[in-house]
Amino acid sequence: MSELTQELKAKIITQLNLEDINVDNLEDDTPLFGDGLGLDSIDALELIVMLDKSYGIKLSDPKEGRKVFETIQTMADFIEANRK
Amino acid sequence: MTNRSPIAITGMGAISAIGQDVAANLNSLQQSKHGIGPITHLETFHRDRLLVGEISMNNAALYDRLGIPRTEAYTRSTLLALVAAKEAIDAAGIDLGSPLRTGIISAITVGGMDATEQYYDDYLDSDTHRHFIPTHPCGYSTEQLADYFGINGFVTTISTACSSAANAIMLGARMIKAGLLDQAIVGGTDCLSKFTINGFNSLMIYTDGHCRPFDENRNGLNLGEAAAFIVLESPKLVEERKKQPIAYLTGYGNANDAYHQTASSDDGEGAYLAMKQALEIAGLTAEDIDYVNAHGTATPNNDFAEGHALLRIFGSMDNLPDFSSTKAFTGHTLAAAGAIEAIFSVLALQHQLVFPNLNFSQPITSLGIVPQTNLKSKRISHVLSNSFGFGGNCSALIFSKADD
Amino acid sequence: MTKPIYIHGHGCISIQPTFETNYFFETVHTYAQNPIPVLDPDYKARIPPLQLRRMNKSMKMAISASKLALEEAGNVDIDAVITGTGQGCLRDSERFVETILADEAELLNPTPFIQSTHNMAAAAIALALGCKGYNMTYVNNANSFESALLDGMLYLQEHPSKTILLGGVDELGSRSPEFWNIAGYLKHGNSIIPSPMNVDSGPGEISAEGAAFFVASHQEGKQAYGKIIAVETRHKTEDAAAFINQFLQRNGLDIEAIDAVLMGNNGDVRYDGIYETVCRTLFQGIPQVGFKQVLGEYDTVVAAALMLALHMLKRQQIPKLLHMNGPQHHGLQRILLYTQRRGKNHSLILVER
Repeated sequence: MSELTQELKAKIITQLNLEDINVDNLEDDTPLFGDGLGLDSIDALELIVMLDKSYGIKLSDPKEGRKVFETIQTMADFIEANRK
Repeated sequence: MTNRSPIAITGMGAISAIGQDVAANLNSLQQSKHGIGPITHLETFHRDRLLVGEISMNNAALYDRLGIPRTEAYTRSTLLALVAAKEAIDAAGIDLGSPLRTGIISAITVGGMDATEQYYDDYLDSDTHRHFIPTHPCGYSTEQLADYFGINGFVTTISTACSSAANAIMLGARMIKAGLLDQAIVGGTDCLSKFTINGFNSLMIYTDGHCRPFDENRNGLNLGEAAAFIVLESPKLVEERKKQPIAYLTGYGNANDAYHQTASSDDGEGAYLAMKQALEIAGLTAEDIDYVNAHGTATPNNDFAEGHALLRIFGSMDNLPDFSSTKAFTGHTLAAAGAIEAIFSVLALQHQLVFPNLNFSQPITSLGIVPQTNLKSKRISHVLSNSFGFGGNCSALIFSKADD
Repeated sequence: MTKPIYIHGHGCISIQPTFETNYFFETVHTYAQNPIPVLDPDYKARIPPLQLRRMNKSMKMAISASKLALEEAGNVDIDAVITGTGQGCLRDSERFVETILADEAELLNPTPFIQSTHNMAAAAIALALGCKGYNMTYVNNANSFESALLDGMLYLQEHPSKTILLGGVDELGSRSPEFWNIAGYLKHGNSIIPSPMNVDSGPGEISAEGAAFFVASHQEGKQAYGKIIAVETRHKTEDAAAFINQFLQRNGLDIEAIDAVLMGNNGDVRYDGIYETVCRTLFQGIPQVGFKQVLGEYDTVVAAALMLALHMLKRQQIPKLLHMNGPQHHGLQRILLYTQRRGKNHSLILVER
């Protein structure tokens, strides 16, 4: 599991150009949106693309993303449960 | 008139998925005949997946209609613009060869992207289509319009995403008011392209069916293509040449939501500010507005924010005048939207009609507002038309009835 | 006619270190390449990381130049943002086209599409400043900045107590210069900055990029650089000298009232003749100053030239490297900028001390 969270952190940092953040200072339970990392709706769309490309999981409604992308941990749980 | 120096509208021209001139557009609006259907011109993966408001004429037919040799490089947006601007200029009967100060202000977002995306690799390998390279920048389209009509006065191009044409109309009016121009041909154009279809699809705001503006279950827009132009003249000029205006442009407002790159703020602050300014410029109050041609793209975010802003401007649901989005007819025509809807607003004034908001069944729960869903005859003196875009660009125009 | 507007601050990013305080072209960077990317300032110094991570070149340059202008003007509140860009956000446009061509059937990253929109620089500035006022973007090739300037003058006429930010920005992109090369726009060989003037260096321009922004208002203020009196554009003209004469007439001036002219010679032998003709017929005894020989060519380079003109007025000096002819100046009260690109998009800007 922690392997997946580490992998996700690295992918998110690269995909979203989070230059000032590194894998070690991003916690599993840091909120990705709002007061946490401060991501927005465009980032959510980028994460949907990432889920599709890296894990073969399709989200057709961006609203579904809100729960899934709450934290690194919720993302990892979702991927574990839906990965093909 | 309420406005001290209203700008006269003396001609208009339009080509869209619901008609290849203004009369045909009006007829479709009256018959509730929408123009949304499958993609037939563009070679794209989405051909059988997404619906668009496509103009049935292909480029070759447009070249022929305009009498332009097919060997010359005109992209589709420019061809459409020429058709619409020609109709507007003819209708206004203005003399472009006179010493009057004439301006042409066009709005466009795709520029020559339809050619660039098609020949992107081809340009490098073969010289067959290389004469299209200069057509890429947005300004090139307007320059071709100016050349075609022999306009050598003021020429410019505006690109503020989906509010572009409203801003072109606004600039024309402001320049006439300031005495910088006597007459102006203003409007916008955008053709369908793989670029925009894929773009809106990647944003997950492209509906899988027909768009449903202001409906609780709306799930995105249909793109469309259109060009629309109107002729604006100074009050002095129309008086001198004894031309009866078809309507007046009385108000305009432009503001920025300054909230997010793409999303509108929940309370529709930018939209509210633009409408408020337009009312101020027109010297009108909200109660004077008889019909609102809403931006109403049918994306969850736009319609919620716009609905909220409308409630703020008009005070309450009871005070909200008849409103509708005509995007279910034409699709969202991007830079042309503000111009085609300006023409629909003028048609509403001329024919005293509120055009229906198609595909609506259930109001947005948190707002409760209900658009006009059938064609309705009523007394209409002032119409408010909204256009909002990415980047927080919000514009509003007010059109007022010509004296009988 | 609109009233003059005062310029209270400017910020400029270009292929020369124009972002440095008080830079006045005493020394210039030399290049032997085409196209030439800008000298990047430290973008991080003026843009928060969370915003910076999703900004393309146009947005970064526009915001940095805007903030430089604001700092110089004393961080005043801005009521409107008016920009020009001939080409828009080219690299993101290219990127999105490349993605579509590669895998249209896949889910596509939306960011390049969003940021390909021409109004993104003006929008990013509005967002960064929280400016909910008037916001416009002109995209009229080499007259894009001039359109923004005209609108700015009109806006201030309508709102005399307001302060605006206006500017121009253009970026190079990656595939686009290849297309420009195919279309015959670019110079081959002889692509040297500073370009030798008044020698035949063959056809073609040296393509570059940049951004220049200005804080302007109707108020004279304490340390305004100078004022802009008028701007006019002409898509095409057979007789540039007549265009210039009429412009001066409309502004109640004759040639003698002009103390220096800034000319847009770019070393493209096909079109520099237009400048030579007006110099010979109109500006014989007047100091002629170039700017494209050190800044390269792009649609909104005239915004950088406006900055140069304002500096000249303030310092009462002409940078030696840019002075193209013999006559010396006898006090700089009034400077005229004349430029065109590829024989089209002629423009005149008149600035005063």
